[in-house]
Amino acid sequence: MASDREEHSRWPKRLYEQGDEPDPRFTLANERTFLAWIRTALALMAGGVGIEALNAVTGHPNPLRTALAVALLLAGVLCSATAFTRWMTTERALRQGRPLPAPRLAPALGYGLGVIGVASCVLLLLTGV
Amino acid sequence: MARRPEGPWDPGLQIERTTLAWLRTTLAFVIGLLVLLRLMGHVNLLAALICAALALPLGLTIGWLLWRRHLDGERRLRERAPLPGGALPAAVTALAVVAGCSGLAFVLFA
Repeated sequence: MASDREEHSRWPKRLYEQGDEPDPRFTLANERTFLAWIRTALALMAGGVGIEALNAVTGHPNPLRTALAVALLLAGVLCSATAFTRWMTTERALRQGRPLPAPRLAPALGYGLGVIGVASCVLLLLTGV
Repeated sequence: MARRPEGPWDPGLQIERTTLAWLRTTLAFVIGLLVLLRLMGHVNLLAALICAALALPLGLTIGWLLWRRHLDGERRLRERAPLPGGALPAAVTALAVVAGCSGLAFVLFA
């Protein structure tokens, strides 16, 4: 049967070897969550590059600005790197009928962005740009 | 292949929402890339042009894979076959990590 062949060719194999096929709606929802994390990562990176671009526009490079840009970019890389492993652990939990893993990155990201927001306010007050 | 059946597979429009999420992500990639290339153009025009020449076919390929994944997913849902696997998500993840690292390189070295 075609679907049997498709099932065995799916990557990553060690994920699809375990458990049963879940409700496809859950698989699709898991995929959308993964994509939302990727978009979040891209937004963080765009913020980082944007802040760094201000250094060039103003002509007065500020180390705090560069530090903020690096922090945002690192957060973006971390976000995208963990997005796939989280997709995989969620899919595995769905296949095995276990509870879904807790979003460990979400609180860290929330507080981290809060700190970055405060730092941006300080920067704005200090430099006016 | 049979004519595409009329009406959605489920009332929640799951596959449509998923494909739209893929589209939004691809758009975010493309826009981010354009901005990065624009900024890179100030520093090194040749490097920016080479990156653009490499990125364009890559973007088109992703768009094509995406559309195929949508049609494939829709067919599999109706056949009650398992959905496509994690190869494309893994590729997109790798691309996002590369994008972040290029951004870091831009900030630290440009």
